[in-house]
Amino acid sequence: MVLALLGAIAAWGLAAWGYQIHTGIGVAGIRRPVFWGLYLVDFVFWIGISHAGTLISAILRLTDANWRKPVTRAAEAITAFALMIGGMFPLVHLGRVWLFYWLFPYPNSRLLWPNFRSPLMWDVTAISTYLTGSLIFLYLPMIPDVAQLAEKATGWRLLLYKVMALGWTGSDREWHALERAMKLMAGIILAVAVSVHSVVAWDFAMSIAPMWHSTIFAPYFVVGAIFSGLAGLIVALNIIRRTMHLESYLLPHHFHNLAKLLLLMSLLWLYFTFAEHLTIWYGNEPKEMNVFGARVSGKFSPEFWIMVFVNFVVPFVLLGIRRLRNITTATIASVGVLIGMWLERYLIIVPTLSMPRLSAGWGRYSPSWVEISITVATFAAMAALYLVFSKLFPIVSVWEFEPHEQEDA
Amino acid sequence: MSTYLTGTFSSKEIAVQAINQLKAGGYGPDDLAVFSDEPVEFPHGVLDRPSHMSLAVVSGAVLFFLLIVSFVYFTQHNYRLVTGGMPIFSFWPTGVVFYEITMLGAILTTFGWFIWESGLLRRDKSVPVPAVEPETICLRIRCATEKFDSAATILRSAGAANVAKLEKAA
Repeated sequence: MVLALLGAIAAWGLAAWGYQIHTGIGVAGIRRPVFWGLYLVDFVFWIGISHAGTLISAILRLTDANWRKPVTRAAEAITAFALMIGGMFPLVHLGRVWLFYWLFPYPNSRLLWPNFRSPLMWDVTAISTYLTGSLIFLYLPMIPDVAQLAEKATGWRLLLYKVMALGWTGSDREWHALERAMKLMAGIILAVAVSVHSVVAWDFAMSIAPMWHSTIFAPYFVVGAIFSGLAGLIVALNIIRRTMHLESYLLPHHFHNLAKLLLLMSLLWLYFTFAEHLTIWYGNEPKEMNVFGARVSGKFSPEFWIMVFVNFVVPFVLLGIRRLRNITTATIASVGVLIGMWLERYLIIVPTLSMPRLSAGWGRYSPSWVEISITVATFAAMAALYLVFSKLFPIVSVWEFEPHEQEDA
Repeated sequence: MSTYLTGTFSSKEIAVQAINQLKAGGYGPDDLAVFSDEPVEFPHGVLDRPSHMSLAVVSGAVLFFLLIVSFVYFTQHNYRLVTGGMPIFSFWPTGVVFYEITMLGAILTTFGWFIWESGLLRRDKSVPVPAVEPETICLRIRCATEKFDSAATILRSAGAANVAKLEKAA
């Protein structure tokens, strides 16, 4: 029932995209001077969410944090699906999407090659690498589990699990190779994840637009990505804990630890936001101040202060005070952070584009129903993909999970 | 003519004892295989499986780096863009592409080497695989048919349970 509803919303989004392809990009609200609207907001948001799995899972694996074990699979799955959705947005944003393959370097009859210096090419290579790495990072530790599933499955599931298990027998040679591969992958994927969100930040920072041309944009984006990724993970874990009755696996102390990480990222996010805005304000450069003023006290100020409230005040109170910190408050704070981080991406993109350096070029932006439909559909698609995944595969890594550890905890 | 036998152990320490006795009896690492439902870490020198995965991954990354740099260099020189006097090939603006493809090389090599080193796709299907009970360690030994009894004796003396001949898969 839930899956059908989510599927219907996702199908509506696909239909809206089909309408845009058929009618032309003009049906979206993006127009001069705001050429990047919700599509780019969604792109940056979903790429940010994708940092949940790789960064959190890889960091916890590399540091041998034992409490990570029931959490990693859920986090890695978020990464893979969020990346698939985020990676779609450059295509949605293209006016002539059927020519997307021109971005790939291949010998063609026109003797044309992509411009490898273009940030669009950076995105293509970064996201392709990250998606490949994330899928492998998700798949490798699933092999022992799908091999176990294959022993009891029937029908098409048996075929699926058998193919995915690659003939796993559980020999020491296989375990050693798996552990070595996972350690290496954790290191590699960490480096790739940081680079991907840096590249997304450089898409903005390389232009000399007000409030974009900043040297701290890359780390600012990486921090924001981990922050929103953690929030997405906490929300997803709470949902699967309740719906799949995993209360004995996903214990309060897992949420406590994740909540503490979320609080840390909230403080880091505040530090970067403050540093970014203080520098602009102190510099008092008129073109920058136009955008700054619109954000802090102008027409975008409601969004700005909501963002500060949900990204800092709410987590600080709910998670900073020990007595208040529990699964419910962690989830409430995380939902707030997700809203706040989506608003942050909106506030980075729209005010700057609607107020370029020449005031004669100023304009307004309001998203059309097509953009809103596609945006809503991505959330439904994410939930649907996650639901299907958790129905087909163990959302908790079975072979890594040791029940006695949980009892001790 | 070789045959296979297995023994089950309830703890890692007893399994280590059995492996050491079998090694002293002339069995090499290729004759022994340990099966379990979770990874078992043996002390160094017991049943080492040397790995070249790290080296392979670095080599894969370097190879992909050289390939992408050559590819971009030659395409940009053979099909020149109008750059207004700026260099046709410039390392820094293409650095992101080089970095990502280098990392892609490392990722693909890790996966490929895992498949190779684990022996998953090149496993001899006729060699029998024992069924492993949860939280037990199963040791499989390949031995000559005439040495079956002596290998079984070593296993039993080391504390193995369920010592039995493993039949080849059909």
